[in-house]
Amino acid sequence: MRRSEGLNWGMSVATGREKVASVDQPPRRGLTRRQALAAALAAGVGVGAVRLLGGSMQGIGRPGAGSTTDWISPLASESARVMQVLRRTSFGYTAAQLESALSDGFSKTVDRLIETKPVEPPVLAAAGTPGGRFAVGQLQQWWLDHMLSTATPFAERMTLFWHGHFTSDYRKVGDENFMYWQNLTWRGMSMTDLRSMLMQVTSDPAMLKYLDLAQSTGQSPNENYSRELMELFTMGAGNFTETDVRQSAKALAGWQLPQPDSYATVIVDKATNATRKLPVYSAQKSGVLNSKRAFNGSVTFLGKTGPLDTQGVIDRILAQPSTAVYMATKVARHFVTAQPDAAYVKSLADIFRKSKYDMKTLMHAVFTSPQFNAAQSYRTLVKTPTEFMLHAAQALGATNLSKLVAGAGAGMGQSLFDPPDVNGWPTNESWISSNTVVERVNFVTAAMNQVKKAVPSATNAPRTHLDGVLSPQTAKLLNQAADDRARWFITLASPEFQLK
Amino acid sequence: MTKEIGINQLKRRDFLKAGLVFGAGAAGLAAGYAAVPDAFARAVYAAKKEGVANDNILVMIQLAGGNDGLRTVVPIADPTLHDLRPKLAGSMVSQALPLNNQWGLNHNLGAIKGLWDKGKVAIVQGVGYPNPTFSHFESIRIWETGDPTRRQVNGWLGRTLATAYDSNGHPLTGCACGTTNVPGALRDLQATMTVIQDQKKFGFSGGSEVEAAVGALYKGTPGIYGALFDTAMATATTTISTLRTSAASYQPMADYTDKVKLVYSSKNQLAAALQLAAELIVTGTGVKLLHVTLGGFDTHYTELNRHDDLMGYLDTAVGAFYQDLAAHGMADKVLIATWSEFGRRPKENASGGTDHGAAAPLLLIGNPVKGGLYGDAPSLTSLDKTGNLPYSVDFRSVYQEILAGHLGAGSNQILGATFDRIPFLAAPVAVA
Repeated sequence: MRRSEGLNWGMSVATGREKVASVDQPPRRGLTRRQALAAALAAGVGVGAVRLLGGSMQGIGRPGAGSTTDWISPLASESARVMQVLRRTSFGYTAAQLESALSDGFSKTVDRLIETKPVEPPVLAAAGTPGGRFAVGQLQQWWLDHMLSTATPFAERMTLFWHGHFTSDYRKVGDENFMYWQNLTWRGMSMTDLRSMLMQVTSDPAMLKYLDLAQSTGQSPNENYSRELMELFTMGAGNFTETDVRQSAKALAGWQLPQPDSYATVIVDKATNATRKLPVYSAQKSGVLNSKRAFNGSVTFLGKTGPLDTQGVIDRILAQPSTAVYMATKVARHFVTAQPDAAYVKSLADIFRKSKYDMKTLMHAVFTSPQFNAAQSYRTLVKTPTEFMLHAAQALGATNLSKLVAGAGAGMGQSLFDPPDVNGWPTNESWISSNTVVERVNFVTAAMNQVKKAVPSATNAPRTHLDGVLSPQTAKLLNQAADDRARWFITLASPEFQLK
Repeated sequence: MTKEIGINQLKRRDFLKAGLVFGAGAAGLAAGYAAVPDAFARAVYAAKKEGVANDNILVMIQLAGGNDGLRTVVPIADPTLHDLRPKLAGSMVSQALPLNNQWGLNHNLGAIKGLWDKGKVAIVQGVGYPNPTFSHFESIRIWETGDPTRRQVNGWLGRTLATAYDSNGHPLTGCACGTTNVPGALRDLQATMTVIQDQKKFGFSGGSEVEAAVGALYKGTPGIYGALFDTAMATATTTISTLRTSAASYQPMADYTDKVKLVYSSKNQLAAALQLAAELIVTGTGVKLLHVTLGGFDTHYTELNRHDDLMGYLDTAVGAFYQDLAAHGMADKVLIATWSEFGRRPKENASGGTDHGAAAPLLLIGNPVKGGLYGDAPSLTSLDKTGNLPYSVDFRSVYQEILAGHLGAGSNQILGATFDRIPFLAAPVAVA
């Protein structure tokens, strides 16, 4: 390491006219973890911060003149690739976790992420409360605690992805037990295949309530689930007709909520002592198909006519080429780049469909594709509020912040179990507004206030959390920072840290 | 004429005037609609002359989820309604507040009915667009961009900001209140605007040191999001200081009840958002285009109470807002307009609700309005092949009248065409 440079982060910033090339880091075998980390960090110093577009220097050093520069990608270096894949698949890392992954290298890290069986979260204390009448904050904190402590963060990252894709919100569902079950189900299926996932989604009790399928009968079908199953969950708008919506609404009708094991009389209003009989479930259950409420007859759906049940609807959807394309587009936008090109999407879609919609195959293809580590993909994704907050907590070594995180998400647009609408969580530039940048900065302040004892050393933070690729302003402020608290604040509040 | 507190009399600060851009773009990106130019956040701004010279203000209220037009403006004399809606029609007809012998307002719209009686409410019926989509997100995008062909990426109000206002970056010209993210209607590559979820919380908890540090940190940020980040932060710091002044001088002159309570199935505190809008308006911050949202209108099931509650919440919030503006002498300046992505199916479903529909009425409220019913009333006996109400008024006709007649903006440039006029303004400043 170039210790002599000390804290002068300005050294890692491109200041001259010449384009600063990033330094490739040859694979290192037989190094100790500590050596690997040190080598990786040293490589970071040589990486320039900004790349000029079109050879013009005008943007640099003139704040407010509009951004005509781009980040210079450090992804030629193995260590930067490891850090990027961790940022995009987990909820941050401690120095020790990073050291371990750097020692494993990129390929092994990807394999470990994908192949390790998800660690189950502990049982939620409030689970089983009659009628699911407990505060959603308990559910949020329970999940956030698990995200912060789990040995398999990728399972949680995928569960969050599915929570945004097959979304439901606790307000309409009105039963936190059902929301809890949905989270367990989504985790369990998160890396399986789309066919079995769609059946679990369709019969999920929270989903049955959220998109009204529990209300739908063959006699008088409710179109809500039928439409979103195609538009938002599988095929995307424009790939089906209104007739398809109405016909599959018939074919999907008949699902009901599971029968409770018993009912409990509970005081629901302490002022008046008003009581209600609320359902009690002894264990997690799925919805049930009531054949008396189902549609008996033939439907014409996606070009074929005949009797059709739920599995038939799903299989016909999976037979549409649009399904793999829609899913691949969504995955690419969440994990690779904001604007994936059509050829890349098609290549992923082909792999996905050929694998019978296997999520492990798709995600492996995503992370090992050249596009994932391409310079053009560098810092093209914006961390979701949950990712941002948990990354910051991990970086500070503060794993007791779940309550703060649960409360702070709403101001940034992400309150878990409460998505803005049926389209789930937005992505990328949608997370940036005057309101959200203030809230993100305020979270850093609050998080650091909760770290009572000394914060960890911030000496390496710009390298381990920002790849050593800094804007001139960030570099300057880090350079001026008086102590570790100030350096952590600048690091975590910086635009660089909001990206992944 | 009431006293003039408007943008023209404000000494506008020189707000980052050197070619600041707001690289929003990509409203549809997240929803999977359209590709956005690669350099969407890097466009270089070229200074323009201001296009608008009047002090009028627009407040758009989004009724998100698809508001049931037939339960908002009720065809009280049409027997077909009872055939189509055996569960929902009875109370909505018997309790409706009659506008004439054919139409009545939802019984919870008492304050709006009071304004109707004073000639301050225009109802445009049968508003929609050709070949309607029944997707929330496609239809929202169409309404937000003002483009049923789905080619336009920027929002119609964002384009208005960019083309007709001070796009030099006066950050409060456009403001979304009560939300965390930029509404699609206000998005534009070259428009600067503010988003404030909760005025009380809008500030840096670390005080002026933090404000100064992050102000310095978010400058010249590279990358495709660089300009977006920098503008968001610069807008925030400027607006926070503006709000400090306005909060000190603003006294609400109406009771914004329910301003902290969420009405069931909505996620938005409409009353609180409108109170913030009122503060921005009456304290002369220079705000011109405001956007607020009330969600929860996707009433596929048990619509009866849910929709009535939403109507009641809308009514009390709008009633208080109007009263507050009037008491501050600003009611002549402000046009309030509702919009929703679609109406609902005339025939109810088995869940006591209604599925996605098509044409529906819009409400335009305020002193600038010439009260009355506009557009062709929809007929329940001539539904289209999807069982929905065909449109008679293109929604862009309403936008056009707002832009040209109320704001004095170049509607043709913003909307890309000219549409039939719907003359719902008492004294339009211009005619498209």
